Amino acid sequence: MNPSERTIFFEALNRVDPAAREAYLNNACGDDVALRASVEALLVADDQPDNLLDRPPVALSVAMLSDADQSAPRVDVIGSMIGPYRLMEQIGEGGFGLVYVAQQEQPVRRNVALKIVKPGSGSKEIIARFEAERQAVALMDHPNIARVFDAGITADGRPYFVMELVRGVPINEFADAHRMPIRERLKLFGDVCAAVHHAHQKGVIHRDIKPSNVMVTLYDDKPVAKVIDFGIAKAIGQSLTDKTIYTRFFSMIGTPLYMSPEQAEMSGLDVDTRSDIYSLGVLLYELLAGATPFDRDRLESAGLDEMRRIIREEEPLRPSKRLTTLGTKMTTVSASRRVEPKALSSALRGDLDWIAMKALEKDRNRRYDSAAAMSLDIARYLEQQPIEARPPSLYYRILKFSRRNRIAIATGTVVVLSLILGTATSLWQMRNAMNERDQKELALQEIEQFAVKVTRAHALIANAESHADSAQWRLARMEFDAAVEQQPSYYLPWISRAQFHIRRKLFSEAADDYARAIGLGAPTDTPQCWGVAALLAWTGHNHAFTSLTGQLERHLESNNQIESWEQLRSGLATGDALSQESFLKIADIAEARLAEMSRPWPGGLPLGFRQPPPRAQDILSRSEDSPVARDRHGQRRMIEDLPRTVCEYITGLAHIRSGQLEQAIQRLEQAQRDDRWPAVGLVHAPLALAYHATDQDQQAIESLRESNEAVTQMAEQLLDPAGPQRPTPWFDFIELLQLNREATITLTGETPIIPPQLAELRRQALQELN
Amino acid sequence: MSSEVTQILNQIESGDRHAARQLLPLVYQELRRLASQRMLHEKSSHTLQPTALVHEAFLRLVGGEDSLSWDGRGHFFAAAAEAMRRILIESARRRNTEKRGGDWERAKLEQDAAMIDAEDSETLLALDEALTKLESEDADLARLVELRYFTGLTVDQTAEMLDVSPRTVKRNWAYARAWLRREMEGDS
Repeated sequence: MNPSERTIFFEALNRVDPAAREAYLNNACGDDVALRASVEALLVADDQPDNLLDRPPVALSVAMLSDADQSAPRVDVIGSMIGPYRLMEQIGEGGFGLVYVAQQEQPVRRNVALKIVKPGSGSKEIIARFEAERQAVALMDHPNIARVFDAGITADGRPYFVMELVRGVPINEFADAHRMPIRERLKLFGDVCAAVHHAHQKGVIHRDIKPSNVMVTLYDDKPVAKVIDFGIAKAIGQSLTDKTIYTRFFSMIGTPLYMSPEQAEMSGLDVDTRSDIYSLGVLLYELLAGATPFDRDRLESAGLDEMRRIIREEEPLRPSKRLTTLGTKMTTVSASRRVEPKALSSALRGDLDWIAMKALEKDRNRRYDSAAAMSLDIARYLEQQPIEARPPSLYYRILKFSRRNRIAIATGTVVVLSLILGTATSLWQMRNAMNERDQKELALQEIEQFAVKVTRAHALIANAESHADSAQWRLARMEFDAAVEQQPSYYLPWISRAQFHIRRKLFSEAADDYARAIGLGAPTDTPQCWGVAALLAWTGHNHAFTSLTGQLERHLESNNQIESWEQLRSGLATGDALSQESFLKIADIAEARLAEMSRPWPGGLPLGFRQPPPRAQDILSRSEDSPVARDRHGQRRMIEDLPRTVCEYITGLAHIRSGQLEQAIQRLEQAQRDDRWPAVGLVHAPLALAYHATDQDQQAIESLRESNEAVTQMAEQLLDPAGPQRPTPWFDFIELLQLNREATITLTGETPIIPPQLAELRRQALQELN
Repeated sequence: MSSEVTQILNQIESGDRHAARQLLPLVYQELRRLASQRMLHEKSSHTLQPTALVHEAFLRLVGGEDSLSWDGRGHFFAAAAEAMRRILIESARRRNTEKRGGDWERAKLEQDAAMIDAEDSETLLALDEALTKLESEDADLARLVELRYFTGLTVDQTAEMLDVSPRTVKRNWAYARAWLRREMEGDS
């Protein structure tokens, strides 16, 4: 404070006349502009009415003082000094003591958070341990880490810690309160990873990462995360490995929810940075799914040994799956992430599931080896790059499973068969079956039975397929039926049989099987379901059709990469399969892909691009009458295999669905000109629709006529596979039937008859089966 | 209680610096106890003036003792002013801040969240901050403000307690009042 400022202020105040005051100020302040300004500001402030100090302080109401008496312990220390810190206000109470806002007087005056540990836990050891780590703690300097300044012992022998005062809320509460979408949550979590990684590089392990130790505040409207308490858990908890104080350790730490298996073990196994990775995994899990991997009530009400067992042995559900176990809470959880429950579940499924699960591996060698690696994987996910985390291999899971449960399942058989058939899902089912049973015995029995059934079903399918390959239809059919009977609740047998039915041109049977498989959760974005959308639409399996297109819709909404033309095509079978927005999106994607195709590549292809697709002369190699041109194990034929003509046709169809009729006509007419495409007849029905919608009635009727001809022609080809022309693939044929029916109804109001050739095909097929 | 406080005040008077530290918690506790006790007999919507509370506490704790000099009373009011400031700021902070500080459960902050309205609590916190700054520049001035504002002492009473002339109190009050105002407005 400048004494002369005060004097000048008093003197100026004495001069009421403005001119006299002005003259005095000119004289007193001279050239000192700063002094003049500060005095002027004082005078203005003095003159202003409604000064806070002129009124008595705000009134106290009842509520404020209601807990006055219970707060006796607080009163004891408020205002007193602990070392150089003056306690101002108690702000919390926890497992191991009390926390205050304290004012530090020396060497800087600032507010700090001061934690006083409850007495009786070996104060000297705690401080000694803290001192040992103090050097490292002092080295940490990261915007997302709250500093720990000091530690000491109070006069009555209680250790205390002094740290940066962080005003904020726990990260999960913050994210929910601000209804942060998943991407925002992931970015915030990335900062936490960065902070933890920084500490790890300085040799400091947190050991107690949990939401209440990761506080978030808004700085300039931007959420900033701060990890607090670095180095403190070690000081307080480390030497408490003795079984007798084991219980107390948990009560001090507060919650076992975020504790890694090796921490829960407390076997003296050295806790290292990977333990923090596990806790980060729990934190991420909670940010994503709105619940911790293990149920809070269950874990906290379990006895000590049971709790340890759960943490060490039980495999948690994946986040996407956990979400579905939350019941009504799922709606709240989704709302606070600004998505529909179903969309949330599908957003978590896959990459995010695996990232969280990798961090939560029981075996720390299998976790991310650093917080940076975890953060990198999240960044990859955000940039839609392939992530490092993978679902654990089937082999690994079965090994672990059988070892843990010591049951003599026919491991070898299951592994081999499952691997051949690529059915990771069966193992998930197996495990879920276990998770959902409280009684271990019962669960084990069921798993054994399940394993036996998997083995049998897979053997049956393998047999059936080889019989079908040698045209022993009856045997094949019986074996497929038996496989379905063995595992009616698993989609794979149903799909196998559906493919068999397709092969035999038993379309309605095939549609029934596909519908069942989809109802059981079969993935629909794989080649085994290409063309199925049109089949379901044509056979009137509305429920399964909606479920299939719904998956595509969510895929589009979440802006996931659509890998194949066939997948785009799935959504175009009917005019109301998807939302207008999604149709437009498909049209945009299709146009962009077409543009890529026509781009010339002087000097060779850029890295990562395949050869431009061939024109239609190569099409014949694709026209097998087996279900879709692909190998038996569902190997994908990528979009790039599709001839440009077919892509033009799909693009045209997309334009029709999105109401862009002129572009539709342009693309379809383009496709129509390529008569090397055996299924070129497909273009007529959509053209008829487009002409009709643009009032070109004459052309519409002409196109419909051509479409009808195409139906007859293709049906004939199917009936006579040995004829001069190779038959059209089944999915082209079914799509033609579906679109032709739509066009006929739109133009004439009548439903077309089903081609008689189909009835004949069916009769022949059934005869061969019976 | 009464005698204990008087005893401490006497010890302070006789130069026992250590005794001053014991005073604050006692006064603080008494203020809160007194207020809540009074509240039990009033309607729940009733409010108390903090300054009135301080005077009542004084009467209860030291009132009957004529032996005390004004200097001794000064120590009491200084402690009371600080205690009251703290009570109000704590409430305002609770009103304003959310949970913080780690694994520490909020100490039942919800109940008194409504005691001071948001605007008042903002203003109080701003004042507290400005006052803390004033303290670091001129502790006597800050003490003057605390005494007058938080205990409601008159200029004359304040003068007597601080052992200065009423004119000095007036002038210093005017200066501190303007200074704080300037500080608070500069912040906003």
